[in-house]
Amino acid sequence: MDNTTAPYKMNKAFGKSLLYTMPMFLITFIFITGGKPDFSNVPTAIAMLITFLGVNILFFMMHYTGKTDRFRAILFIAFALSLSFTLISNIMEMRNSMSFSQADILECKIPFCHLVIPMMIIPAAFTRSIIFPGSIIGGFADIASMVVLWLVASLVLGRGFCSWGCFYGGWDDGFSRLHTRPSIRKISELWKWMPFAVLFMVVLTAALTLVPTYCDWICPFKAVTEFEQVTGVESAIKAGVFISLFGGLVVALPLMTGKRTQCSFLCPLGALNSVSNKVTPFTIKIDKLTCTECLKCVNVCPMFALTQEGIKSGKVSIFCSKCGKCVDACSRKAIHFGIKGIPSGTMKNFSRNLFLFVSFLFIAVFSSGTIINSLQNILKLIF
Amino acid sequence: MKRIKIIAGITWAFMCLIIIIVLFPGLNYFSNSASRLSFMKINPNYSGGEIAREYLTENCTLMVHKPVFDGLLKERKNGFVQVDWRGTIPDRFTDTIDYNLDNSPDFIIRVDRTSSQTDLNSLNSKIKDVSISTPTSYGWAARINIER
Repeated sequence: MDNTTAPYKMNKAFGKSLLYTMPMFLITFIFITGGKPDFSNVPTAIAMLITFLGVNILFFMMHYTGKTDRFRAILFIAFALSLSFTLISNIMEMRNSMSFSQADILECKIPFCHLVIPMMIIPAAFTRSIIFPGSIIGGFADIASMVVLWLVASLVLGRGFCSWGCFYGGWDDGFSRLHTRPSIRKISELWKWMPFAVLFMVVLTAALTLVPTYCDWICPFKAVTEFEQVTGVESAIKAGVFISLFGGLVVALPLMTGKRTQCSFLCPLGALNSVSNKVTPFTIKIDKLTCTECLKCVNVCPMFALTQEGIKSGKVSIFCSKCGKCVDACSRKAIHFGIKGIPSGTMKNFSRNLFLFVSFLFIAVFSSGTIINSLQNILKLIF
Repeated sequence: MKRIKIIAGITWAFMCLIIIIVLFPGLNYFSNSASRLSFMKINPNYSGGEIAREYLTENCTLMVHKPVFDGLLKERKNGFVQVDWRGTIPDRFTDTIDYNLDNSPDFIIRVDRTSSQTDLNSLNSKIKDVSISTPTSYGWAARINIER
């Protein structure tokens, strides 16, 4: 049983933090290097070493300092940047362009992304097929692997996937941190229900047209991955929409509000993952006995998951992505990582340590391949 | 009851830890198993549909796919038929296609690879126009819009 101040004193213990990091060190060593580090290729070996040490230092610091979000964000943002860098450099190498052609669609060569998943459910049930021109198994970002990864992450982390797994979320997260004093503070609570409306719309239109409409017309991240070759008015409008939404929802609004506006106001998968928050054992809890209702947590929450009413009743909404920003902001440690079934205000350290191990292991292994790849490319450019 | 809830919560949390540890080493196995599910195949609107007939020539294979009219609940009024040319294909080629396998030609397609020009000559009222005609990694592919 913990009290409200003691747990974070323990985090100052260097030896204990090192001991806590050891299992992560061993597991990531096996998963990242395959148990047999290859030193024959120098850039690859250096990239692997930097990634391996980097993720473990971040994990150690989470335990040692007792802070979660700032170290999570480093890896999360690095993942987003490196994925776009790797993808764009691979595409440019293959096609000399960021756009994909009709031939790539005909040959089902488009890398699959988890944002398609909500749109493929109804067509998969009725037509027994996937409405996406990708590879079912094998190759880069195949459909079967991405579906398995998303399913497991959603089961285990709930909407935590949006802060510990989504390789697009890092863009919003990064821009929302650049401006420390947001210029827009008042945002209507109603906007956070928008992703459910988008989810409903894209699921319906995808079912009717058998086209993943969100990817085809809306997805802002097409601007930093790949998009349809501009060959006419329609594809030009699409490209305009992608770039405008990226500029507005991923860059400008996060800068002005300090919030992850694309994730909170648009992403249909975020809406679906909010529902999966009901399944995961991990949650954020509010200890009403310690809470002074200072509302620091409400102000810093990037996903609009905390409200004044919620704090009063001790409840965190389904929009929570377990980024840990509120936990770091609370000086009284009244808001904390918890496990369902365990009363709030108790077993704080145990719950946090278990959650961090699970969530960090997921992002560390999921992101490592991409980060190694981009580091390797950068090293090759330098040397 | 409170104790049971605590034990259940912690058990589920530890199970999640095991699931994550098993996920990455077992990803190939899980993905292969998932890929064998009955709905794990690309919709014909993207894949072009099954191949109905193949014609072998000296350096090139002509493949005519089955017409695709797939909709969510029932077939659509409008669809397409895909034709692939695989292998070493000449700069200019002309083929007469019988897509519905009734032994009467339905359209004549002429492709000029150098100018990327494609001409269609309909011999059947159900043939509408060319929706896609493009070079591919295996040669050339064209999709012809048709009516049911």
